[in-house]
Amino acid sequence: MAEAFSARAAKTPMERIESVLILSTLLLLVVVTVQPLLNLLALSLSDPSKVPGFSGLSVIPDGFSLDVWTLLLQHPYVQRGLFNSIWMTAASVTIGTVGTALMAWPLSRRELPLRRTIFIFVLITIVFEPGIIPDYFLMKQLGLLNNQWSVILYKAINAWYLIILVRFFEEIPEELIESAQLDGASQFRIFWSIVLPLARPALATIALFYLVFHWNEFFRSMIYLNDQSKWPLQVVLRQFVIGGDKVAIVGENAANNNIGIAQIDIRALKAGMILLTILPILAVYPLILRYFTKGTMVGAVKG
Amino acid sequence: MAVTEITSSRIAAASGNVPGIRLQRGGPARGWRHWLPFYAMLTPGLIFFIIWHYVPIWQVQMAFETVRIIPPNLWVGLKNFQLLFSSPVFYQVILNTLIISGMKLCFVFPVPIVVALLLNEVRGSGLRKWIQSAIYLPHFLSWVVIAGVFIALLSPSDGAVGQIAQALGFHPVNYMTNTGSIRWMLVLSENWRSAGWDSLLYLAAIIAIDPALYDAADIDGANRWQKIRYITLPGIAPTIATLFILNMGMFLSADLDQVINFQNDVNSSTIDIIDTYVYRIGLQTGEYALATSAGLFKAVLGMGLVLIAHFVAKRLTGRGLW
Repeated sequence: MAEAFSARAAKTPMERIESVLILSTLLLLVVVTVQPLLNLLALSLSDPSKVPGFSGLSVIPDGFSLDVWTLLLQHPYVQRGLFNSIWMTAASVTIGTVGTALMAWPLSRRELPLRRTIFIFVLITIVFEPGIIPDYFLMKQLGLLNNQWSVILYKAINAWYLIILVRFFEEIPEELIESAQLDGASQFRIFWSIVLPLARPALATIALFYLVFHWNEFFRSMIYLNDQSKWPLQVVLRQFVIGGDKVAIVGENAANNNIGIAQIDIRALKAGMILLTILPILAVYPLILRYFTKGTMVGAVKG
Repeated sequence: MAVTEITSSRIAAASGNVPGIRLQRGGPARGWRHWLPFYAMLTPGLIFFIIWHYVPIWQVQMAFETVRIIPPNLWVGLKNFQLLFSSPVFYQVILNTLIISGMKLCFVFPVPIVVALLLNEVRGSGLRKWIQSAIYLPHFLSWVVIAGVFIALLSPSDGAVGQIAQALGFHPVNYMTNTGSIRWMLVLSENWRSAGWDSLLYLAAIIAIDPALYDAADIDGANRWQKIRYITLPGIAPTIATLFILNMGMFLSADLDQVINFQNDVNSSTIDIIDTYVYRIGLQTGEYALATSAGLFKAVLGMGLVLIAHFVAKRLTGRGLW
């Protein structure tokens, strides 16, 4: 019997070929995912004179130069965009996480009167989205056109994330809350010193959700923010890469006289801009891998 | 987490000495005084939802009005909708939306299932984790970035795709500015972005399958394909069904963020969807009322689809959208 099992464990040649095929398919997937990004990185680090004709297949810089990166990071539009992105994202994440937690805790109490009604009230906003025009008029009435708060407060409390956090809060052991109540702690005190510390991983998850969402947001910034000085990085990137608007990044003076940044091949600048926009996501990527997985499972189907 | 466990066990132990605690649970309903602080916590959030979500919903009435420079607007009933449905552009836009959603359903939806099945065959969790962390990444990038990557990738002169085509002896084509291929680029980029990450839910479903089933199949001498066909696929069928239905619920949202970044002067008519149409005639041309009615048309149909999807999924699998 034991021998029969070990015989099964040893692979037949056919099974070995299958394993190799499966593994190579997955490795191909990894290459297809990562290669385009590495190519752009290599392009942005190549010697500017070697950039024209740099192959889309290569992942090794041709020569080495930090010119693209220094120029980008010294450029006022890029600096401004980076600053706007960071501050707008930070504001959104803070407001979003605090607001969601404050709302999720009462909603996680099963005996809360009107709990179901409030849930439906929130769910309606997921199901029925009236579209961009009524939203535009709301911003107009609130005086938030061309104001960064129109973007910062957009989905400040995301209904999906709220539901996920409610599920997390429901898991907090009832005994802890009850014993604190017996000790005479106020509900706010319980929330602040018991619920929030216990839910730290959940809050980290929600904060990361908001971070990725708001960092990647561009549509509302694009339609509501007229002044370039208010644009986040995504809009600067879009203007430059999708719109192909070299002036947007190089500046009129440099573009007309072909000096300074304008001398660098636009392909390399675009590559650098794309990577600069990804960089913060890469910085938190280990955290994303750690927390997103669980958050997504709790949220069941919404990724 | 360890600290949490210690705290909770300590309190549980302590609660053994306090008989009152058990009695309190499930006791008489608590009075409004008890709930007051909870409503105080809810208030800021509720105000936010009213202003940012319900005011726009109320403003949807604009779809039945003519917007005048000096308010109030003029009530015109269904005139905007008549205008909308007499415009051939609107039909093209609906058609485009349906085609793109249909293509995504056929060529994007099944891919993560295959990826999950492949990942599940990888023994050695280190290698698997490594592959996963690589293929999950694009999900967290914005569509601006992804469009930028695709523009570079598909550049006929020096993009990777063009170079491979040239090496194989084909004449390189710019797929981004080719009306025949741009919808496929939407499909491809959607796959690039989500094939990895979306496999997560399927992989979780696979891992939840009882390992004893596989052991039994091994003893019966089942090979890899038989195990996939008779154990894994039936095991994840409920997950597939749920996600399929929910996908159907999103059928009218062909993803504005994606399309708007893949659009250019050449291809825009082929991938003009309801959302881009609303944006264009509303915010760019200033036909607010018409755009609102197009948006409302989509919102109402979309709501119907989502609700149907939710209740069908709930009936079939016990798990709906929320």
